[in-house]
Amino acid sequence: MDLFLNPVMVALKKGLDAGSLRQRVIADNIANINTPNFKKSTVVFETLLKKTLGQDSFKLVTSDPRHIGGAPPLDQLRPEVELVERTTMRTDGNNVDIDEEMTSLAANSIMYQATARQLGDRFSLLTYVITGGRR
Amino acid sequence: MRMFSSFAISASALTAERLRLDLISSNIANMNTAGRPDDPANPPYRRKIPVFAQVLEMVGDGSAGSRYKGAGVKVVRVMEDDNPPRLVYDPAHPQADERGYVAYPNINMVNEMVNMITATRSYEANVTALNAAKDIALKALEIGRG
Repeated sequence: MDLFLNPVMVALKKGLDAGSLRQRVIADNIANINTPNFKKSTVVFETLLKKTLGQDSFKLVTSDPRHIGGAPPLDQLRPEVELVERTTMRTDGNNVDIDEEMTSLAANSIMYQATARQLGDRFSLLTYVITGGRR
Repeated sequence: MRMFSSFAISASALTAERLRLDLISSNIANMNTAGRPDDPANPPYRRKIPVFAQVLEMVGDGSAGSRYKGAGVKVVRVMEDDNPPRLVYDPAHPQADERGYVAYPNINMVNEMVNMITATRSYEANVTALNAAKDIALKALEIGRG
């Protein structure tokens, strides 16, 4: 097993990437709370990750990530930004729901910290093993 | 991905909301800044309104497949309210016209107060977003520190 490129570490790293992108998207939504006709965006990551991680148990033969049942390999997984165009929240055409954004902001912050701690613990485990438990 | 891009997004919103608060203060302060009716050389104060627009940043080189992503908000211009001024009969006023009317700016105090609350709350929401960005950036620094 690769020391740093094992699936767990790569998934955690991708999780941090997604968390920082989501922070950016939420910040942009909140920044444009008073912009007329602004439409919010969301980050799609967890479903993609689930698809990628679940493909070992039931795998269709594909030659392209766009094929049915196909999912990109873990190291090529990228979070996607999706524009929510269909809804309207106010008379000025803006569809940012501030309660939803603040909740996602708090959730994302906690999720990021949890992922960062997991990754940190993995590294301390490696350090522990490398130093033979002596530190 | 640049680490401080979400800081910059929140900062742009803080700037925009602060400008909005400044304009509201200016509107309230000049509520009674009168002028002579129908005299372009001596107009009353006109209500200032900021116009917000989204800032977009291109991802890619501009060819097909390039996309835009949000990069905050900016005030594209400060608009002046075109509504006609409020006319008040006050012949003793130095700005009064020959009929005795003085033009006062068409500023509704309730409107300004409501906008002020909205601007303040939006400012606070953006401060919260900025603090969350700061927290996760600091947390990322702790990875691997044991």
